Amino acid sequence: MKDRTLSRRDFMGAAAAIGAFTVVPRHVLGGAGHTAPSEKLNIAGIGAGGQAASDLRHMESENIVALCDVDWRRARGMFNRHPEARKYRDFREMLDKEDDKIDAVVVAIPDHMHAAASMAAIKRGKHVYCEKPLTHDVSEARVLAEAARKAGVATQMGNQGQASEGTRLMCETIWDGAIGQVREVHVWTDRPLRGINDVYWPQGVGRPAETPAVPDEVAWDLWLGTAPERPYHPDYMPFKWRGWWDFGTGALGDIGCHSMDPIFRALKLGHPTSVEACCTLVNDESYPVASRVTYEFPARGAMAPVTLHWYDGGMKPPRPKELEDGRAWDTNGTLFVGDDGKMLGNRLIPESRQTKYGKPPQQIERSPGHYVEWIQACKGGKPAGSNFPDHAGLLAQVVLLGNLALRPALKEKVTRTRLMWDGDAMKVTNMPEANQFLQRTYRKGWTL
Amino acid sequence: MTESKGSITRRAFVRGAAGAIAGATFVPGRAFGANERLNIAAIGVGGMGAANLNACTAENIVALCDVDSDYGGRTFKKFPQARTYLDYRDMLDKEGKNIDAVIIATPDHTHATIGMECIRRGKHVYLQKPLAHSIYEVRTLTEAARKQGVQTQMGNQGHSSDAIRMLYEWIQDGAIGPVREVYAWSDRPVGGDPWSDFPIMARPKETPAVPKSLDWDRWLGPVAYRPYHPIYHPMSWRGFWDFGTGALGDMGCHILDPAFWVLNLGHPERVEAVTTHYQPEVAAETYPRASVVRYEFPARGAMPPVKLTWFDGRLLPPRPKALEPGRRLPGNGALLVGDKGTIMHGSHGAGGVRIIPETQMKAYDRPAKSLPRVKDGSGGHERDWVRACKDGKPASSSFEYGGPLTEMVLLGVLAMRLKDATLEWDPVNMKVTNNDEADKYIRPVFRDGWTL
Repeated sequence: MKDRTLSRRDFMGAAAAIGAFTVVPRHVLGGAGHTAPSEKLNIAGIGAGGQAASDLRHMESENIVALCDVDWRRARGMFNRHPEARKYRDFREMLDKEDDKIDAVVVAIPDHMHAAASMAAIKRGKHVYCEKPLTHDVSEARVLAEAARKAGVATQMGNQGQASEGTRLMCETIWDGAIGQVREVHVWTDRPLRGINDVYWPQGVGRPAETPAVPDEVAWDLWLGTAPERPYHPDYMPFKWRGWWDFGTGALGDIGCHSMDPIFRALKLGHPTSVEACCTLVNDESYPVASRVTYEFPARGAMAPVTLHWYDGGMKPPRPKELEDGRAWDTNGTLFVGDDGKMLGNRLIPESRQTKYGKPPQQIERSPGHYVEWIQACKGGKPAGSNFPDHAGLLAQVVLLGNLALRPALKEKVTRTRLMWDGDAMKVTNMPEANQFLQRTYRKGWTL
Repeated sequence: MTESKGSITRRAFVRGAAGAIAGATFVPGRAFGANERLNIAAIGVGGMGAANLNACTAENIVALCDVDSDYGGRTFKKFPQARTYLDYRDMLDKEGKNIDAVIIATPDHTHATIGMECIRRGKHVYLQKPLAHSIYEVRTLTEAARKQGVQTQMGNQGHSSDAIRMLYEWIQDGAIGPVREVYAWSDRPVGGDPWSDFPIMARPKETPAVPKSLDWDRWLGPVAYRPYHPIYHPMSWRGFWDFGTGALGDMGCHILDPAFWVLNLGHPERVEAVTTHYQPEVAAETYPRASVVRYEFPARGAMPPVKLTWFDGRLLPPRPKALEPGRRLPGNGALLVGDKGTIMHGSHGAGGVRIIPETQMKAYDRPAKSLPRVKDGSGGHERDWVRACKDGKPASSSFEYGGPLTEMVLLGVLAMRLKDATLEWDPVNMKVTNNDEADKYIRPVFRDGWTL
């Protein structure tokens, strides 16, 4: 009954949209699934609250024709902002009903649903913008990237920094040889902490015992999606799902695709040869309070092998001597250690060295903006900077591989050896039981 | 509580009066005959104190003191000839000349006040590690022991081990070349055993009744009053800033002991720490779930500067490349990284010390033993102190050594407290030169009525 009411309202919304924006469905335009540059894309949001709202606001040069969210409390803001958009709870239903009306989707839902939602869209030939990390599991990232390549759709992962001037300066400075060969990189985040005296979401905690009622406007079963059945609890949603193995990808998954992206580009990294980690006491429910993950990357052409250390939960590398007294040693950062100097973020330290060095020669084209890149790609422009097949798929696989080394089931073994990684075969070669964590089993009724 | 205190004191007085007459043969500084026994008293006998006493049963155990007659009760029963006390000052007053030496194994926050009282009275002292709760206390104890000429031993029993001496000889021999980096770690505060799991929490709000057996006020000693709670005593006090010294204070005197000794590290120039703390009410009360502390030591003679990194809460250094697959980093241990190789060892005096990889260990032509060994190694640590009390030659980890080791450890604890800052250390003036907030932790204010 309720659904029918909503559908009616949705239908009204659709009518209004047509009236206001003179939408021409994609199939009418013909061609290879691309909207002409002069036309507007018809975009659907899978996820409408939180980060989805933020992403969709960047897409408002286009038509936002449908919005889907399992939590209509959180979606209300976007629903009100786009009254013309038809509203859904289940993205599968939305894709069914809107198939001929949408060109592209923005996927900004909890990590455990990224792959299922993105894949459903790709299978229908839709362009996809998906939040970082691309997926929850290593294998999902690979499968999704391959599917995007085959479908020829335009894709972009939501690591906005990839389009920035800072990323370009970092690459160009390193490629210019400003600090010589880089053999060591440290990258750290305060998350799940927020600074040193607050927390974004808890980790290192056990499963809540209480089973409060599901709020009226939450479709809990749809929120669970591919994850194993468990009772609703506000400790999971909104937002705090990041700390739970079943739903999120911890601090590393949340921030790794942001902060490791420029490192990947600057050092032209591919798959690592090994990964090793330590962390505070960890359980089967949530990610540890703090961790350190160490990746070893082989030489790439003339670039030397490099060790990359990831830290989270307030951990960070030692303050470098080159950093002047009085300068903050921030709770988030990237430190490149080269044979001829160090870079903090995209600047040489001390600052006097950067001043002396000036600016690197420009080698990379500047971006019109992270969201615009994708919109242009959807309309037949060149691939976006963090498209799945060429970049985001690999980056996400490597980031997520770090979480394997934190798995409680493997902790004892990880004290005895590093995980040796065969990137091409996508498997851990010296610890077969680790490979089960490359791909979860989806709950019945869900497939990739 | 009052009733309990009264009854214990009465009983102690009766026993004390009887025993004092029989055993009053002590002359300070006297020479001991070969078969003469030392008269030993112990303060804090429920936990480590019991173990320390068991190593000294060849001597006369004349008096025992514990603020908890239940927790200390098993030990009281084990030494029925010993007079028992609730208050160490009472014991020292009444036993006076009966006692040659005192074993102290109370919580960290009372080490200094008790230790000083014994030293002032000319008693030899065996004091559990860490030597004290604050750097000022450690310095004061060390200087007082020197001035009084008493024999001392800190309870880092690994310092009596054969392994730590072997490590010393290897380093002297240049087995791994000059050492520039040290990594050390402990799985505490979540070691998984009752004694190695410390609470991480805000100050408890409930105020349950104090058990009849416990004198809570005396347990608190010099620390600001707070209501009793069972989370503090026994054992879990280690996790609270006011009482314990955390994983680093608990284990650092064991795990950092080998590097501190064989590399003659002395005072660091600077120290910085990061921790997992974030909730102010928790951070103000207990040690963090995990921390990383980084020390920098200057060059010492021909030895180059050393960077020492401490990890706790199950954080570890990156796995050394030299360590063969399948070999585990111990739960508590250290790596000494030299220009020509790496040495790995476990806790309590370089236990299981090896050059890694094993091929390099096997190829190493070990130097001849040059250092004398302590009889019975780690297990002989208490008896080495007894020996020192009798022959006047310092014990293996006298305060002259244990003091500076503990100061270094406690400087790391201070850095955890003032996390996310680089502290510049002036050891002569016991002053962090770039952070005045440190002063109140270096020399804490005692509760009224308590002094060093």
